[in-house]
Amino acid sequence: MTGPPDVPEAAPRRLESGSFSSGLTVPDFAACLQMGLRPVGLVQGFCAMQWGWYGAGSPYMRGMSPYTPQGSGGAYAQTWYCPHGFVSGEHRMWGQNYEQVWVEQAWLQGFNTAFGRLIEEAKEVGAHGVIGVTDTAHSLLESNVAEFHVLGTAVVVEGAPPPPKGEPWSTYLAGQRLAKLVEAGFMPISVVASIASVRVWAYCVTEYLMEGGATLWQTQGTAPVQDVEQVSEGLLAARAIARDHVRRQLGTDTLHGVTVATSEREIGGGDQVFECTLRGTRVRRFKDFDPIGAPRPTVRLS
Amino acid sequence: MTGPTDLPKDAGHRLEELQHGFFTSDLSVNEFLLVKECGFHPLGFVMGSSIYHTGIQGRRWSKSQELDKLTEAMYNARELAMTRMEEEAEALGADGVVGVRLDVNYYEWGSDAAEFIALGTAVKAEDGKSYRNKLGKPFTSDLSGQDFWTIMQTGYVPQGLVMGTCVYHIAHRGLGQTLGSVGQNVELPNFTQALYEARELAMTRMQDEGNRLEATGIVGVRLEEKTHQWGSHTIEFLSLGTAVTKTADEVTLPRPTVIISLDN
Repeated sequence: MTGPPDVPEAAPRRLESGSFSSGLTVPDFAACLQMGLRPVGLVQGFCAMQWGWYGAGSPYMRGMSPYTPQGSGGAYAQTWYCPHGFVSGEHRMWGQNYEQVWVEQAWLQGFNTAFGRLIEEAKEVGAHGVIGVTDTAHSLLESNVAEFHVLGTAVVVEGAPPPPKGEPWSTYLAGQRLAKLVEAGFMPISVVASIASVRVWAYCVTEYLMEGGATLWQTQGTAPVQDVEQVSEGLLAARAIARDHVRRQLGTDTLHGVTVATSEREIGGGDQVFECTLRGTRVRRFKDFDPIGAPRPTVRLS
Repeated sequence: MTGPTDLPKDAGHRLEELQHGFFTSDLSVNEFLLVKECGFHPLGFVMGSSIYHTGIQGRRWSKSQELDKLTEAMYNARELAMTRMEEEAEALGADGVVGVRLDVNYYEWGSDAAEFIALGTAVKAEDGKSYRNKLGKPFTSDLSGQDFWTIMQTGYVPQGLVMGTCVYHIAHRGLGQTLGSVGQNVELPNFTQALYEARELAMTRMQDEGNRLEATGIVGVRLEEKTHQWGSHTIEFLSLGTAVTKTADEVTLPRPTVIISLDN
């Protein structure tokens, strides 16, 4: 999947031309010049992925019980047992949360492929790094196609020797936020992103089969307690999984400028998906912190 | 297509009034002050418009391809609107136009027709130096007053609002292809290549415009995607930014002052 043929024909022509283009706003552009960075080109990567509900609970798996004792093979699965107290093979589990590993893997594949292409374009323009990275994933054309688009501005450090053979560094930061990071003695290493997807099922299989779709959450009695518990456990798990995914990519480095976005989607009664996306920049200390001058106090008269 | 005759009669009257020192502008008060601070004076609010027929071009259901007729139409329409705006600025003797906005409007009375409109504030340097671009025309830019001030501090001057567009038809997938990959989340290389190619084409064309102005680079590039009225598989990729040129003199940028706000 790597190598020059991965980037479309028009890209080299664009990147070879003498002038640069940059997605930086003017204030970010000015800050970039002030730091001694010279923009050399707008670089991007792109990946269209087939996107669907596969695995347990998907329409393609109809007829299978959504409940598997081990969940989906991910690190997280949690089962709530039937409160009725009678023991039967089917009527034991009444609600399950589990990590949707296949969603996370597909997202990672889409993101990494697009990001790899951005880095490829950056190498083509001889960049030391890529700043002001943005990434989006949204559905396109048909609902089962998701596009991953990663965009950034490739820069060269003025006066520095040509970049080493390795990957250029990259960061979500640009402008004064990046300047402050460098001032604090840190260099960006790479953007880091991960997603966690947790499915929350509140179906009793027996009731589902007998009455068609009854959920625990609609039942009276102890139900509301479990509703809250199952949802909050699911949300907690999504955040924890996203954090663990990112932690594994950090090595001994530090994560800076993190954004966490959590979304909920209701598939049907008692059937929800929680997704947590975590983005940040992996940074490494390269010099001591120089104390900045004392700030000047200001008062706004408007 | 060019020359002052292109503009409506009323424009002449409006512009004449503006030539006597009276000015209109859509700059905010802060923007006005900043434009004045870096030595420019607003001359007047200028615009250009073009109503263009943008029909649909034949395309093959299962083939990804550029729709070159539509690309051309979308490009020419914007170019016409921009040129007319530049003519108005020219009539005022402006050095450039700041805060340019390019809009597309659809009206009920014209199916398949769209109005492309360019709006901005014409400005002139107070020191008498010419800031016109390499083609001898007033520069255009979508920079706000604040951005205009900042870019002037960096030793770069705007040359022109540059754009590139590409209307692309993305192939529909055949039933066989769709069924063949059921049950997996995989990359769809055909879609990737088509969309990637379309974006790169739009960006290349924008950069070609920049090169024609002998610009050093383009700042504030935006990528817009619109399906307009063509259905979801036909997409216009529009790339826009302000081309800038580095002036000869080396500029040392002042360190920004660190402030702390005492307001609550």
